[in-house]
Amino acid sequence: MKIETTRFGQISIQTEKIIRMPHGVPGFPDQRQFVIFEHRPDSPFYWYQSVDEPALAFVITDPFLFKPDYSVNIPKVLKELAWDPDTQLDHLQLYVIVNIPQGKPENMTANMMGPILVNQLTREAVQVVLTDGKYSYRAPLMAAEPSN
Amino acid sequence: MLIFTRKLGEKITIGDHTVVTLIEIKDNQVRLGIEAPRHISVHRQEVYERIRKANLASSEVAATDIMKASSILKDSQPDKELS
Repeated sequence: MKIETTRFGQISIQTEKIIRMPHGVPGFPDQRQFVIFEHRPDSPFYWYQSVDEPALAFVITDPFLFKPDYSVNIPKVLKELAWDPDTQLDHLQLYVIVNIPQGKPENMTANMMGPILVNQLTREAVQVVLTDGKYSYRAPLMAAEPSN
Repeated sequence: MLIFTRKLGEKITIGDHTVVTLIEIKDNQVRLGIEAPRHISVHRQEVYERIRKANLASSEVAATDIMKASSILKDSQPDKELS
């Protein structure tokens, strides 16, 4: 199917690639369907594009690229979501939403407190809210300040 | 706003499927138990608000900025390996 997007024009997507978010995401409760595609082959970023709202696309990334010891209590989350508790980790993918302030890309942050958990088997996703206080909703992605 | 006075262990029902129970009272804190259907998401308000605002702020990333961010990260890789 084809979808309209503000940033990329009309794009073709495979319907089986659509990710359903039954809860939407906080701030955008009515957006229930998204697709993920690469920003560029050599970029750590992906776009998380709303299927139904052309203007809505988040930049997301793999949190483990930036924080190798990032951890989410998956059994607890599966229970809270009432997802199959036997879901294999291989079938789950975590992403975090990246904020890149306008004109200040060096100040980019990621929302490590609210990762998006995608279940590849059911094509369902939820923005999990971690309440254990371990992670910030605006964790800097550039570890060191630029030296100058 | 509806305001109820509840004693320890008493409940409030919201609709047919949501029940709030007053579980504990201690000094100026109360513990609430919330039973709600799966499709209702329940969060501490201040945490939810942070996530909501972060999402709103992150929804307006410009294509030029993601390009720059991506190349900054690429440039910073060698430094990371040295440190």
